[in-house]
Amino acid sequence: MAAGSARALSQALGALDAGGAANKINLIPQDFFAELCEQIIHHLNHKIPGVNTAELCQRIQTSGIEINIGDLAKIANILSFLFSTAARNNLSTEELVTTLGSAVSTLPKHALQVIRHVWNEQGKSITAAEDARNVATVGQFVDMKWKLGVAMSSDTCRSLKYPYVTVTLTVADPSGQITDKSFEMTIPQFKNFFRQFKEMASVLETV
Amino acid sequence: MAAPEPPPPEGSRPLSALLGGIAQAAFHGNAAVTDELLRGQLYPEAPPEEFRALRAKMGGLLQSIASADMDLNQLEAFLTAQTKKQGGITSDQAAVIAKFWKNHRTSIHESLINQSRWDNVLKNMNWRVDLKSQLRHIDQINTPVAIVEMEVGKNGQESEFLCLEFDEAKVNQMLKKLSEIEESMTLLTQTT
Repeated sequence: MAAGSARALSQALGALDAGGAANKINLIPQDFFAELCEQIIHHLNHKIPGVNTAELCQRIQTSGIEINIGDLAKIANILSFLFSTAARNNLSTEELVTTLGSAVSTLPKHALQVIRHVWNEQGKSITAAEDARNVATVGQFVDMKWKLGVAMSSDTCRSLKYPYVTVTLTVADPSGQITDKSFEMTIPQFKNFFRQFKEMASVLETV
Repeated sequence: MAAPEPPPPEGSRPLSALLGGIAQAAFHGNAAVTDELLRGQLYPEAPPEEFRALRAKMGGLLQSIASADMDLNQLEAFLTAQTKKQGGITSDQAAVIAKFWKNHRTSIHESLINQSRWDNVLKNMNWRVDLKSQLRHIDQINTPVAIVEMEVGKNGQESEFLCLEFDEAKVNQMLKKLSEIEESMTLLTQTT
């Protein structure tokens, strides 16, 4: 391993040990940890727009493990950084695992096994995709949910009767975290919103 | 028997202006429009207690009309009933109120709607189309993408700016959903 790579990797490893992230990884059952690593690799491969930490966290909590979403997000970021550093430095599975194991002694054995397996299977594909990485400064639209409601009455007006649309956008931010953003629109606002997207579509077609 | 109301001086203009002032204070949240200001500007000759009574009565009527968002039929019935009551209004006053409501109904109703919008609203939206250059396995690809900036926030509070990228597929995905909303809206307006 070249000197530069060693430094880069130990930086990544340092991040792993910082704030006791390695200890928190201990909490996550092996199959969930494997799923997390897989999602991260798929994200680095541009196969998915982001890692759905909220959803994964909920499932882990449902299985009885007490982990908060902040910790899970941090672990996801560190692993993402670790994998992309390893990819950029073209590390083989053995190199990655050996360095990882000796530098981060607090990393649980099952986690090491998962990382070995995941890297062995899919590490190569990131190496190719790294060149394609577009430094995203904007979020990616993932999905949209909506509901149509009518506000009937309020404390200041007994006969409001105004229809409105509530929209929830699922967005992958540049670091890969998926979040929901909600907002309301009146009917005229909605019509304008719709019109703008139609215009976008026609411009995209002609470009 | 109650003392008769002071007749509206020189026609309907002061009453119309009074209604405007009341609406400003009550519905558009304009704190600068005080009773003193209104009295001084519109009814400087009127004794304070008489002005207060007039203002209270007009305020009450406007509140009822706005709260029920009365249409012209409801308004006519309501005002007619008010002219027939003891201590009610004159038919001249009824005419002024009717004209005022016809002209200001929409803006007052909108203000009332805004008062009840407490969640995030879409304040503004801008977009542009970029040609995104990507290096993918050596080949250079130019794909057009739409960059959309949405200003989202609660009324009267700081906004968050959402900047999102949509490729053609995602715009179409969005359009499909927006069509669904439009369909539901059409059904809604048909049934109400």
